[in-house]
Amino acid sequence: MRHIRKSFAGVVANDDVSLDVHAGEIHALLGENGAGKTTLMNILYGIYSADSGSIRWKGEDLGAHSPREAIQRGIGMVHQHFMMVPTLTASENITLGLKSDGHPFPNRARLDRSIREISRTYGLDVEPTAPVSTLSVGEQQRVEIMKLLYRKAEILVLDEPTAVLTPAEADRFFAVLGRLRKEGHAVILITHRIPEVLQVADRIAVLRDGAKVADLEARDAVPAELSRLMIGRELKEVARSPRGTAPSRPGEAPGLELESLVLADRGLEKLKGVSLRVGRGEILGIAGVDGNGQKELAECVLGLRRLASGSISFGGRRVERLSVAQRKRRGLAYVSDDRHRDGLVLEMDLAENLLLKDLAIRGFAKPGIIDMKRCRQAAETAIADYGIKTTGTSEPSRLLSGGNQQKLILARELASAPSFIVASQPTRGLDVGATQFVRERLLERRAAGAAVLLLSADLDEILALSDRIAVMHRGSLSKPIENAPGVDLTRIGLLMAGHAGVESA
Amino acid sequence: MIDPILPAATTFATAAVRMASPLALAGLGEAYSERSGLLNIGLEAIMLSGAFCGFIVANLTQSINLGILAAIMGGLVISLIHAYLSVTCRADQTIAGLALNFFASGVTSYAFLMRFGKTTNLAKCPVTPILPIPFLSDIPFLGPVLFRQNAFVYAIFIAVAVSILIFSRTEWGTSLVAVGENPRAADSAGLDVGKVRYTAAAINGGLGGLAGAALTLGSLGFFMENVTSGRGYIALVVVILGRRAPIGVFLAALLLGAADALQFRVQTLGINIPSQVFIMFPYVATVAVLLFSFGKSLDPGALGQPFERGRR
Amino acid sequence: MKTLRVLVSYLLVAAIVILAAVLSITAVGSDVTKAFGGFLRGAFGSVYGMSEVLVRATPLLLAGLGVSIGFSSGFFNIGAEGQIYMGATAAAVVGLFLPGLPGPILLPLAILASLAAGGLWSAIPGFLKARLGLSEVINTIMFNYIAINIVGILVRTVLKDPNYPLPMSPELKDAMALPVLLEGTRLHAGFIVALAAAVLVLALMRKTPIGFAMRVVGLNPRAASVAGISVPASIIAASTLSGAFAGAAGAVEVAGIHHRLLEGISPGFGYLAIIVSLLGKNNPMGIIAASLGIALLQVGSMSMQRQAGVPTSISWIIMGMVVLFILARTTIFGFLLRGTTGSRA
Repeated sequence: MRHIRKSFAGVVANDDVSLDVHAGEIHALLGENGAGKTTLMNILYGIYSADSGSIRWKGEDLGAHSPREAIQRGIGMVHQHFMMVPTLTASENITLGLKSDGHPFPNRARLDRSIREISRTYGLDVEPTAPVSTLSVGEQQRVEIMKLLYRKAEILVLDEPTAVLTPAEADRFFAVLGRLRKEGHAVILITHRIPEVLQVADRIAVLRDGAKVADLEARDAVPAELSRLMIGRELKEVARSPRGTAPSRPGEAPGLELESLVLADRGLEKLKGVSLRVGRGEILGIAGVDGNGQKELAECVLGLRRLASGSISFGGRRVERLSVAQRKRRGLAYVSDDRHRDGLVLEMDLAENLLLKDLAIRGFAKPGIIDMKRCRQAAETAIADYGIKTTGTSEPSRLLSGGNQQKLILARELASAPSFIVASQPTRGLDVGATQFVRERLLERRAAGAAVLLLSADLDEILALSDRIAVMHRGSLSKPIENAPGVDLTRIGLLMAGHAGVESA
Repeated sequence: MIDPILPAATTFATAAVRMASPLALAGLGEAYSERSGLLNIGLEAIMLSGAFCGFIVANLTQSINLGILAAIMGGLVISLIHAYLSVTCRADQTIAGLALNFFASGVTSYAFLMRFGKTTNLAKCPVTPILPIPFLSDIPFLGPVLFRQNAFVYAIFIAVAVSILIFSRTEWGTSLVAVGENPRAADSAGLDVGKVRYTAAAINGGLGGLAGAALTLGSLGFFMENVTSGRGYIALVVVILGRRAPIGVFLAALLLGAADALQFRVQTLGINIPSQVFIMFPYVATVAVLLFSFGKSLDPGALGQPFERGRR
Repeated sequence: MKTLRVLVSYLLVAAIVILAAVLSITAVGSDVTKAFGGFLRGAFGSVYGMSEVLVRATPLLLAGLGVSIGFSSGFFNIGAEGQIYMGATAAAVVGLFLPGLPGPILLPLAILASLAAGGLWSAIPGFLKARLGLSEVINTIMFNYIAINIVGILVRTVLKDPNYPLPMSPELKDAMALPVLLEGTRLHAGFIVALAAAVLVLALMRKTPIGFAMRVVGLNPRAASVAGISVPASIIAASTLSGAFAGAAGAVEVAGIHHRLLEGISPGFGYLAIIVSLLGKNNPMGIIAASLGIALLQVGSMSMQRQAGVPTSISWIIMGMVVLFILARTTIFGFLLRGTTGSRA
């Protein structure tokens, strides 16, 4: 791939990226969220087409194409979300959509035999007759890989494959990669995890902010160096926004406390004994790449998920048995990372969306009439205070821009002067102005004495806002460190990438 | 001791199988449709349409075969409209089905009155004769029950056998399940989700129309307004009880056919149980089945949901 | 400009349906002008005709309101028919077993009973959906048939009128009769009850916290949970309220028209209510209009039969066609509507 450029609505996703991959090679694409790794591969696979640049595959130029054509040419991709039909067997899933010998009556026995052949060659250990619903996630992933091999893929692109695997399954997976390499396939591994990359890759390409910043042999790579490349900041370059004086009231009732939270989801441990303390008037920033348990953590604090064990306290009082509404009544504000699904009812107007929090506090089941007039007045105030660009309180919220939607959510959540705030990726997808606005509001609340838990994959944001920083990786939280000038960014980067032994607090 | 029981049991079983055939045919068709993800509440409309079209053509031409053909066509029209609304228009499948029920009820009543007016002299159509299969029909008990029936009963035997073959041994059968379970996976594997669903709907229409003909051409010999009187809804029950599998659907239909036959028998014996008790049975059974299966969802994953490529 | 195009697409639907009606009328050999004339005269030509429209609209309005509560909350209440039957039964039972009470006490009591019966009947599928995740579509249809058959059993056994061979309950006393509003017509106070119910539902859904919660659950259950709304509780509340109003429709038919419990007390009102709710876009004012419209269709078509010999089943054809075309509207008239609905045509 040469000089690939791709933008989405003015935001550059890939900036002049070139990549060379050879047969029998495992090539890692390393980078944080938003570095452009998946976009680049989607271009290769045909889901997107590049704005400019070229792709040469086996000596031929590859123009705009569809995923089906890509597969026909031997390019295969396994995405993060598997495409499986659970009630069918592995064999049926693998051969789905293909006209096998004996069509329309496929000789299932013969197909199973060839699948077992391939499975043996690559050490995949896939039992063709097993219904997919009975397979573990690791096994399902191997079926996905089988699908590509069955269709004679020569290059396999794997997007964050270990995100859903236990460490034991990950090791098995790496063995499979080894076999693929031995059989002459090329593998492109999209990941953010440095230890993996060092364990299996032959070559490493590091992407950051859409551009390729390094291309090196794995044996020449050093973890600290990789981390620096991924995050790309020299210590001197950190831009810190003024955080004002932190109101320190020692002896005051504690803020948000989480003690040994354990959460399992479908057999995978999502939170492995997470503990932390956020004091009043403090922002604790949790850095980490998406998919390491942040969303689960936020939802546990909110009350949407039930813990296997552990406790949560607001201001010293235990809340883990309380409902979402009850926690909001105790002063919790929640800004979700998914504005459209969690934060707003898009078909309702601004005033009604504001009502969501108000009624949570006052009670949804209480008898009585909603005073819509007062609600609209509150909406008018919010629009003015937060500078929301809208045609009026009756505008359906889906017509607002992303930034204005987030402002609406903030207005709603912060209106009741909450003491405990969980903000998850609060400035994702927002422009500079909106981002600044959101950060200022959070700092404001901190100055007023709220305990703020900030989860963000954007390290800039974490650095700009947090008093202390912790890193989340694979469901474990590192010990928080002070965000003082001279904070060790390399260490943070390594923690985010899974290196340097994560110690739970 | 055996003597008086066997003939009675035989007549009872024969009647049960005959009464079950419309339900089995319609249920089997609906099984195809639901496997592909289309929930067609308008089964009543399909059966009514088939019953009427079969009747009127047979009445006009005095040919049963033409009538059967017309019945299949009639069912197809309704099911393809439903497919159009569900697949292409991505409208709500339940409302579409209900609207079709109203529509078909209106059209068939209207057309019937238009042709025959309100006379007390009931218009008749030829009825399919009983076709005993030589040798097999002489087996005691099973002979008359299975092999001395009309063409529709034989049709359901064939249909069940063919369906078992299709579902378990053909690629299309696998595609059907994929489309109904996870259309996005099917789509990314290269299957044409719309085409599979339309085909399933067509089979639903054909079998359902045939089921309607089984009523008018197979047993009644006449038509009246809403002759199907809710059998389409019972067929939905049959599909659930039979877990959308051909043999299951057939057995469930048989069970309900037996309940039907039992109800008549009880009435003739003069026992004073209101027939409603028997009529209620299939519905209560369905709720019970649904209740006990709540642990694992037996429905195809995408049942009732329209498919749109590229939508999250 | 875009509302104009949307309007045009609806007018086209109307035009197609009217065309179909005209074709059907001529196919039967009737005179189109005579038929339409008969239609209009039947509905508007006399006081009795107009009162009949209101009479027929009453149960549709009540049941339609019930269904709309369900729809707004994401609960597909196909079971209105059965809830009407249960409501009718409850009202009849009150009337039969408490004959001594005076009208002003008896009637409200009967209506309350019907609210409870209809509500409970609907709450069962609602509970099954809320707690066990069972789809309410098939369940509510099954409950319809179970309810109809329960009534069938009751009017043949426990509630049977000993004086008549037909399966029906004894006649209810006068105290149990809803007062007639207009001398010489069948128009009874049930119509007022229905109108009051419309206002009540409007207030409920738009102005109360619980109505708001139900609507949020109907639009975005995930956001509802995040906001602190208990989704299962809302579903159960919605299904109960939905069934209650349908039950009231049954009570009103018993107390206002039939004065006894019998089979066929609802000739498909529950299913028609779904169409009413759809046409009225789940809005009480729209539902009033839709129920009047469908009632008009029924009264007019009966008159059309008397005057021009057009079979009444034409009203079912028209109703079916209207809904079918509304479902297909955005696709068939896609060329017209490009860009009128925000993200997709």
